[in-house]
Amino acid sequence: MSVIETEGLTKRFGRLTAVDDLTFEVREGEVFGLLGPNGAGKTTTIRILACLVSPTEGSARVLGHDITGDSLRIREVVGILTENPSLYERLTAYENMDFFAEAYGLEDQQERRGRIRELLEFFDLWGRRDDKVATFSKGMKQKLAIARALVHRPPIVFLDEPTAGLDPESAKGIRDLIEGLSHHEKSTILLCTHRLEDAERLCDRLMIVNRGKRVIVGTIDDLRTKIGGQPVLQVVLKEPNRKVIETVRGLKRVREVRTDDPATTLTITVDEAESASPEIVRSIVYVEGMVLSVNILYPSLEEAYLKLVKESQG
Amino acid sequence: MRFNKALLVFRKDWREVSRNWEVILPLAIVPLIFSIVLPLIVIIPSGAAESGSYESLTRSLPSTVQNELAIMTPQQVMLYITLLYFFAPFFLIIPLMASSVIASDSFAGEKERKTIEALLATPISDSELFLGKILVSFVPSIIVTVTSFLVYSVLVDVLSFTIFNGRLLLPNMIWIMMILGLAPTVALAGIGLAVIISAKVKGFREAQQISAALIVPILILIFGQASGAIVLGPMMVAGLIGGFAIIDLIVFQIGVKLFRREEILSRLA
Repeated sequence: MSVIETEGLTKRFGRLTAVDDLTFEVREGEVFGLLGPNGAGKTTTIRILACLVSPTEGSARVLGHDITGDSLRIREVVGILTENPSLYERLTAYENMDFFAEAYGLEDQQERRGRIRELLEFFDLWGRRDDKVATFSKGMKQKLAIARALVHRPPIVFLDEPTAGLDPESAKGIRDLIEGLSHHEKSTILLCTHRLEDAERLCDRLMIVNRGKRVIVGTIDDLRTKIGGQPVLQVVLKEPNRKVIETVRGLKRVREVRTDDPATTLTITVDEAESASPEIVRSIVYVEGMVLSVNILYPSLEEAYLKLVKESQG
Repeated sequence: MRFNKALLVFRKDWREVSRNWEVILPLAIVPLIFSIVLPLIVIIPSGAAESGSYESLTRSLPSTVQNELAIMTPQQVMLYITLLYFFAPFFLIIPLMASSVIASDSFAGEKERKTIEALLATPISDSELFLGKILVSFVPSIIVTVTSFLVYSVLVDVLSFTIFNGRLLLPNMIWIMMILGLAPTVALAGIGLAVIISAKVKGFREAQQISAALIVPILILIFGQASGAIVLGPMMVAGLIGGFAIIDLIVFQIGVKLFRREEILSRLA
């Protein structure tokens, strides 16, 4: 079931088209990534879906509510981590959470307290609940901002660049938390990122956007295959052997064999690399080739992504 | 409109404001000047006063007051006119000055501190947000105004007690109408406009500079009263209360209508 559906979503700011005819859907319970370089229109897309910005053209529905006619209802059912943590630095972590919990409709104080405690403990911030946010590190602020986005148990969560500006260790910590979160909270997550490692690690499906346009949608494996091509087989020999290369080239399923200099590493393009590898190894051994290692190399998402972005820039 | 949501915004903002000395200081200093310093510099050196300089204002006062003044000494006339009439409009400035920092900071400050987007993403409606932002400026400024008035009344009565042979000058009906009726309605209009400006501009300083112009009508009232062109009598004050109450409603409606989340986000610093 789709919880977010967009149709020809377009946003123009004067002459600039920030979002250009975006059509996509996000299924219930999945982590859907919007991947693209800076200025690709990811934040604007999230702002449109969170009813902070209205589209110039097109339509979108969030949990069945129309973004142009039912904005208050949509704001109630989504949680959002904005581009900046957007925390009140003179307030304590608990006061920040308490304000947003009540703003999102958690009227009962006991319920609020329980929920805030649950989240702050999950994010390892309960011990700092009475400290002003101004004293927090960047990573802690980001964790608190994510906790805030979840405080009202929203069925849909928008996370805009959750690891941006964080050091590698903090970024990994946030990624671990989001991964745990998608299981713990069972929310649908729309994740906006320009970091491939975020997309690769966290997303069930993702859409690559560039200059406001949809480039491609699919699972990580889909994208790798569609853009980067099939996986290849890499065989490392103890010593160069021309006979081996000719034998492998002669095999039925092999389409291409590339070698390095001095021809000890063979990169073999083959249909269904996994199932073809025993036959290839056997053929090499048969012509007295000495195999040091055999690996199946999958195309990296990074290569695929960069290729796509370059192509879309025309 | 859910009033509890507006109160929620008010409580959150007040928590923030009360921890910021840059905001609290004007709240404390403005009333200190108007309620303590001004009466002291008027009453203490008033022995050699002449009532001649107040003739134009005296002539425009109601006949009952003129009769009262006729039997007073020059010192009594000078104090009576200055303390009860000349200073009265200054108490309309107190809520505007006291609230100017908070009102200018309301949306512009949130933009500068980059906290506005999460606030705008909440299911708090435009009118609830707007009212909450007005309340956080209005409530403290009115508390400050009423407190200043009480301090001013006590000080005036204590210092003028012997000069007026045991008569207490304050509070009187006009001052009560002014403090409890006119000051709040004037403050609401000024704060409403300041909050609208704050939502429209990019930063706090810009908001404060533009909002400073809101004091001009009150200055006209002060000079009008000093020259005798305007006298804040009961009818005049009642009329102004009614007029400003209507202006308050109009300002609120305009403020909500002009409130555009998208426009506010587009002006993020």
